Amino acid sequence: MILLVEKKLFSIKNLFSYDTKDPMRTEHTHPIRNTKYLKPQEEWKGIIAIYLYLAGMGAGSFIIGTLISWFNIKPDPPILSSINLLGHTLNLSSVPILWGPVVVAIGAPFLILDLGIKWRFLYACLNPRTSWVARGFIILSIFIVLGLLLLAKSVLPFEWLRPKSVLWRIPEIIAFIFAFGTALYTGILLKATKSIPLWNSALLPLLFLVSGLSTGSMAMILSTLGTGFFSHDARALKVLMVGEQVLVIIEAIVLYLLLSRRYRAAEQGKDSVRLLVFGEMKMIFWGGVVVLGFIFPVVLENIASFFPGNVAWIFVAGILLLCGGFFLRLGILHAGIREQIPMHRLMEIQYNAAGKTKEFGARRPRNLSLGS
Amino acid sequence: MDEKVLVVDQQKCTGCRLCEMVCSVFHTGASNPSRSRIKVIKWEDVGLYLPMACNHCEKAYCVEVCPTKACHREPENNNRVTIDKKLCIGCRTCVVACPFGHPFFDISERVTVKCDHCDGDPQCVRFCDVKAISFLDADKANVSRRRESAGRFIDSIRQGR
Repeated sequence: MILLVEKKLFSIKNLFSYDTKDPMRTEHTHPIRNTKYLKPQEEWKGIIAIYLYLAGMGAGSFIIGTLISWFNIKPDPPILSSINLLGHTLNLSSVPILWGPVVVAIGAPFLILDLGIKWRFLYACLNPRTSWVARGFIILSIFIVLGLLLLAKSVLPFEWLRPKSVLWRIPEIIAFIFAFGTALYTGILLKATKSIPLWNSALLPLLFLVSGLSTGSMAMILSTLGTGFFSHDARALKVLMVGEQVLVIIEAIVLYLLLSRRYRAAEQGKDSVRLLVFGEMKMIFWGGVVVLGFIFPVVLENIASFFPGNVAWIFVAGILLLCGGFFLRLGILHAGIREQIPMHRLMEIQYNAAGKTKEFGARRPRNLSLGS
Repeated sequence: MDEKVLVVDQQKCTGCRLCEMVCSVFHTGASNPSRSRIKVIKWEDVGLYLPMACNHCEKAYCVEVCPTKACHREPENNNRVTIDKKLCIGCRTCVVACPFGHPFFDISERVTVKCDHCDGDPQCVRFCDVKAISFLDADKANVSRRRESAGRFIDSIRQGR
């Protein structure tokens, strides 16, 4: 198969920088279908990937944590069950399962950091009906505020915060729904920019939701293991781990479906998939997403099941899976190639017509053929 | 119909990039072609030059995705799509969304900028030496091509006689 992809070493510096462009750089090229011009979008880079990852992982872990608390599993007192602060005893027993909003709150500033003029992010909050970026601000703020309040409620020692009434479940349910919204929104944000075929699919929000759930549940396993949350009840941990492996497998299936559908959807979708699977991004895709994210964790967890006492295997698997979740976002972001416009098709026809004449025939680059 | 559009005759363009220069001088005060709102895309090996500016699409993706309504349509002003610099937050969503890659991020102003027809007097049209760009009524945009094809038709009839 002829690769239409520029083979260039993947530099991390290039991923995270916006302003290294030479201001005097002039625009000679344009992303027409040519080796030279086939470039993925360069606007959203590593910072957005970090944000997408933290938001998805935090929301996923909150969903799993809320489910654990709803199933009313009586946890063991963790290693550090309470601390004294200014004469009040803070109850830390639920922190290992409800820390999700903190991670989302850490991730959200990355979205603001990416803006050209940072303080103007408030403008986006004021126009929720305009676009998905603005709606995302609202969804994220509601989730972060509600989630942090629920976390504070579980930590603070006051008895009046813990009534028996079922009505107190309502804020939990709302936060649960908004956690789903946050995880889905990370995909919808990309889907809403319709001109990139790789992203313009309903499977992308689903992929990010499933990925958020799998990374979130893995992070939950790590935090509960690290704090001895399930030390009395090994079965709960086992259920969680089986669920996590099922989620990883579902994630792999959804990723396969997304890539295969997008491969057939548009020429640029095909280019994106090629870029991801065989091209410049192949180290990130095969190394980061497939090996670190899918294969290693599942294999290591199955090995770990033979050594019940040894949690080091699970920790290694968990950290690899968390890295894989990040690389998935990075890969999807960096493989986004814009759709072709009719004008480019005209240019291609003229270019090819010109290439067939004797005058230009010798100089016509071979790789301009439209592939496949 | 008083709506006017920028019409590019790609056959005439020589790739001199004067339009980029005057555009950046008009909008930013600096003669820096990388900050101009029009870009001449070049295929040097076959000698094709195509000035590309905003198409002010009927269904503009940039307007749809803008979170602050900074990118908006002005029906009273030639139905153009323009970005309000005071509202733009520099999120670059419009740059990602535009299939033509047109709005671009101005590094020094930290906002996204795009073609606004120079408030009715496009400098690229005014200064183009070979008249490759023209600012015409939308319904007259194709007249020259129609005239050309009609001329060819008449020629063929004459040859047939």
